[in-house]
Amino acid sequence: MESNEPHVQVKFFTKQSRYSVPDTTYSVPVNVVTKDLSSLINGIISESLTDETGIEFDFLVDGEFLRVALDTHLQTKEISTESVIEIEYIERHPAPTPEDSLNHDDWVSCVHASNNWILTGCYDNTIRLWTTKGEVISTIPGHTQPVKCVSWINEEINGKKCFMSGSHDQTVLLWQWNVKTNEIDCIHSCRGHAGSVDCVAVDEDGQRFCSGSWDKMLKLWSAEYNPNEDTEDEDPGNPKKKKKMSSKVQSRVPMLTLSGHTEGISGVLWLDKQEVCTASWDHTIRIWDLEKAEQKSSLQGNKVFLDISWSPTNRLLLTGSADRHVRLYDPRSSDGALVKSTYTSHTGWVSSVRWSSTNDNQFLSGSYDNIMKLWDKRSPKAPLYNLVGHEDKILAIDWTIPELMMSGGADNQLRIFHYEDVQVPTGS
Amino acid sequence: MASKRKLVDTSDVQDLSDDTNLFVDEPPDDSDVDDNDTTDSSDSDSSEYSGIGEEEESDSDSDDLMDSEDDEDDDDDSSDGDDGDKDVINTVDDSSDDQDLLQSVTNNGENIEIKTEVKDDEINQHLDNVSSKTNQNKTKSKRKNETTISSDKDKTNDSLKDGKIKNEPLDNVDKVYDEYEEDSSDEEDIRNTVGNIPMQWYKNYKHIGYDVEGKKLIKPQKGDQLDDFLDKADDPNYWRTVLNQLTGQKIVLSKDDVSLIKNLQKKVHPTQSNEEIFQPWVNWFSSEKMIHPLSNQPAHKRSFIPSKWEKLKVGQMVHSLKMGWMKPSKTEEEQEKEEEEEDDMSYYMIWKDDEETEFSKRYRQHIPAPKLSLPGHEESYNPPPEYLFTKEEKEKWESQEPSERRMNFIPQKFSSLRMVPAYSRFINERFERCLDLYLCPRQRKTRMNVDPEDLIPKLPKPKDLQPFPTTQSIVYKGHSDLIRSISVDPSGQWLVSGSDDHTIKIWEVSTGRCMKTLNVEGRIQCVAWNPNPAVCLIACVIEKTVIMLNPGLGDKLQLTNTDNMLKSHQNTEQASDSKVPVSWSEFEDTDYEDGYRLKLTHGFDVTQVTWHGKGDYFATVMPNAQSRSVLIHQLSRRRSQNPFSKAKGLVQCVRFHPVRPFLFVATQKYVRVYNLLKQEMSKKLITNCKWVSSMAVHPEGDNVIIGSYDTRMSWFDLDLSTKPYQTLKHHKKAIRQVSYHRRYPLFASVSDDCTIIVCHGMVYNDLLQNPLIVPVKVLRGHTPVKDVGILDCIFHPSQPWIFSAGADSTIRLYT
Repeated sequence: MESNEPHVQVKFFTKQSRYSVPDTTYSVPVNVVTKDLSSLINGIISESLTDETGIEFDFLVDGEFLRVALDTHLQTKEISTESVIEIEYIERHPAPTPEDSLNHDDWVSCVHASNNWILTGCYDNTIRLWTTKGEVISTIPGHTQPVKCVSWINEEINGKKCFMSGSHDQTVLLWQWNVKTNEIDCIHSCRGHAGSVDCVAVDEDGQRFCSGSWDKMLKLWSAEYNPNEDTEDEDPGNPKKKKKMSSKVQSRVPMLTLSGHTEGISGVLWLDKQEVCTASWDHTIRIWDLEKAEQKSSLQGNKVFLDISWSPTNRLLLTGSADRHVRLYDPRSSDGALVKSTYTSHTGWVSSVRWSSTNDNQFLSGSYDNIMKLWDKRSPKAPLYNLVGHEDKILAIDWTIPELMMSGGADNQLRIFHYEDVQVPTGS
Repeated sequence: MASKRKLVDTSDVQDLSDDTNLFVDEPPDDSDVDDNDTTDSSDSDSSEYSGIGEEEESDSDSDDLMDSEDDEDDDDDSSDGDDGDKDVINTVDDSSDDQDLLQSVTNNGENIEIKTEVKDDEINQHLDNVSSKTNQNKTKSKRKNETTISSDKDKTNDSLKDGKIKNEPLDNVDKVYDEYEEDSSDEEDIRNTVGNIPMQWYKNYKHIGYDVEGKKLIKPQKGDQLDDFLDKADDPNYWRTVLNQLTGQKIVLSKDDVSLIKNLQKKVHPTQSNEEIFQPWVNWFSSEKMIHPLSNQPAHKRSFIPSKWEKLKVGQMVHSLKMGWMKPSKTEEEQEKEEEEEDDMSYYMIWKDDEETEFSKRYRQHIPAPKLSLPGHEESYNPPPEYLFTKEEKEKWESQEPSERRMNFIPQKFSSLRMVPAYSRFINERFERCLDLYLCPRQRKTRMNVDPEDLIPKLPKPKDLQPFPTTQSIVYKGHSDLIRSISVDPSGQWLVSGSDDHTIKIWEVSTGRCMKTLNVEGRIQCVAWNPNPAVCLIACVIEKTVIMLNPGLGDKLQLTNTDNMLKSHQNTEQASDSKVPVSWSEFEDTDYEDGYRLKLTHGFDVTQVTWHGKGDYFATVMPNAQSRSVLIHQLSRRRSQNPFSKAKGLVQCVRFHPVRPFLFVATQKYVRVYNLLKQEMSKKLITNCKWVSSMAVHPEGDNVIIGSYDTRMSWFDLDLSTKPYQTLKHHKKAIRQVSYHRRYPLFASVSDDCTIIVCHGMVYNDLLQNPLIVPVKVLRGHTPVKDVGILDCIFHPSQPWIFSAGADSTIRLYT
């Protein structure tokens, strides 16, 4: 270190008790970068811990990752260099490693994983069932047009597992999969949408689900298997459709239809038992109260929303838009800045965003620029990692299983990345 | 003395009477009188001061014999000049010297008489000769004087006259005397002897006084007021009629009386006008030295010897100048300059504008004529060898254009100046030089010092006009040849494209997925999605046919409804309109399954199809079909009609008005707006373009944009004028298509230069406010193929996005 450079007083602390250092004030040059700090911490902890050396650390100053030199960071955050700066450090997240690539016959439009299985929807009108190991269990035809969304309904009950799929053919099909015999039956055909069904979401206990469509409607359906449901309410305008379906497929009508959006709905999710949130092409996010069957509130954006994700732990909404930005919304804040922060790094439409299910700071975003990015909420300028691999647009991503990041794209591939998350105590 | 001389003079040359006149007016000068007493020698001295000797001299010179008299003659003339101003003063003195004068007069009188006898005949002749104005004036003034001059002077004059020769004006003098006798105020008025008493004392009596004999004077009859008034109106002399209080009689004042009164009122001399009293004074004997001597005396010998004292003086001055003791006095110019400078320093105009002075400065700025360059060594007849051309230099010189050459001649060497021939280009060069002088600017152009930025109208920044498409987002790849036309479905979910690879493709907008590909036989000229969301049909132009396609995408209910509507049609009226060369037919079996529904076979190649906003009518363009070039078809009744009986030109493009029954027909240079209900032309827009390529109508219908192959895009405000409201020339190559956004105030043009120019075009509801047009973005991305760039563009129906179809067989979405 050069002696003539100004120094600042810093204090280190961490929530990871393994790497804790004594509460001493250190003097470091102002233009220090992450790498230098990391070696400094390594030097300190090597005194106590002999077995672990060369651990990479990330540093948080004022709640944001240090990505540039310390002084420029302090300047942008307007922190005085006179006082002692408290720096939190955490072990750097290891990079996700590409694990597998599942080949499809056509574009992969949607993906959803659960336990050991992966469900993908494809533009060749089929749904595919995979194991997490990359083996195809089944290819399910049934839709007459490309599948746009898939979702698992519940956990395995009696060796049977249910899932559903929405498609351009304006229907949502409910399927039952007998895991042992590998029999897949279409149990219900949910009709009522007048446009392609672009998104579905199941509530926590798997009783009901919501679907959003290009026809601007949000519909609430029952997700339960009811073999005796009468089929008389079937849409009379679709006689052809009826013939095509096998005799045991029963049509189902929506429990509730909510209108309000002026353009197609691109994302839907449950906030809690009675609240549903939708994102739409009309630049709004709307929150619906299902009990009262009305719109509760609305957040106005200024670009088309393509996807939305909700984290139950930090209660924040994440949106992907057609203007290359990922935005973080707080649905509870009624005034002021709706957008809490904007994450800009993609160069194409952000088609899909997903929160991590375990780490409330991390999320994934997939974009038409062929790159999936892993972000930390506290680092809006740059993502943690770029997950490259796709050769065409990424249409859907999934991060339901914490270790597996999945992305499906227009290159007919479902790419799976393995991610070993560092155990960080959540919460404040 | 002077008078004496005069008389001599007159005896010599002048008429006697004239002479007298001269003399009468000029009483002898004091000095002259004095001279009379002094010796003759002093005469010559006094003569030096005379100013106007020359004229008369010439006369007198004729008489060479009388040298001595000439001198006197000069004197005489000089005394002539004195007369006017001095006579008033001199009159008194004159009387005292009368005796002398009379003597001299009588002495000379004999001479006169002799002369007159001798030269009687010549008098008239001389009268003519004497042309001096002064003499004439004197004559006149003298005549006036006869009547008005004061008595004293008159007496003098008379005495002089009497003494001299004849007493011709005596009658006049008598008359004057009479007048004064009567008018004398000293004497008591003999008509009424009451004396100077207030006359009102007699107011109550019949008489007014008493005459010399003591008899009562009876008051004259006096008119009453009416008479007085009548007099006032009728009598022209009323204003100068006064009442004599003493006699009670009315007296009419004469002109002279009136002027006398006026003069008294003005407090000037009562009987004489000013000019006559104050004659112009010429000061002959002034202090100024005249350049011409009055005497003819040759200069004295002494005067030719340079003055010794002057020489000494000059020597001293030169010495002191050399030594710097004395400074030469400043010339007048320098002094003036200094004074000016002082003036400038000392005070200035506080309120004078700076601009004014600057203007005047600029105005006077002079540009000198360009100077000829001085001749150099190379122009010498014997230039130094380095100036002579080498071979290469000569070749170069010859190969160059005359304007490029460094010098306009080839240096040459001659053995002597004698050998130098005449310069052949002399006249040319003189002529050019004259041109230079003639054509060179003589005045600085008063260039307006205006910041060019100020001339540009204030437009809002593009940043403030968001949203508009800024970046390329999705590329729709799949076609293998240039894409001529694209169209978006009313909901904005699907996009249809027609290409030269004989395929029609339907794309999912949000992902760029090709959902459907239809192979047809022929190039697709144009595709148009039915704007009515309830009717799912795409009209495609394939060479000579127009087919209706059911896309099979979107709401299934509406697809089937559309099919049902088409099926339910009864073939009843089809053959009714045989004039129109269009046959409608339906597709069967497999074609039907593929989505083909209807086929309209035209007689010529169709270039364009466009839907009416409600989706029932559509128009097709066949540029080569003469009068049938524009056809309007009705989908529900499967009927075609030809709205125009005559071809007005090569139709390029037609559009329906979005709400009213108007049809816009663009030919190569004009756009005609037809009212379809009234079947008449309502407007004709003059595009000022050479070849219109495309046209778009604003969703509200009052504005139209035109794209042309000569790179211009024109905006027409139909309410404003039939000429372009604004013309944008931003493209470098032909514009292929223009388009309006349905919701946002945006319009765009695409061109062969592979750019899309997106403009903000705000149309206000306020009729007084003109549309605001701001170019906001140039979008690039396409690559040209065989000089063809972008062929079509269309806005997304609900988002501020634009699609463009290019010759590089891609469609691009910009958001």
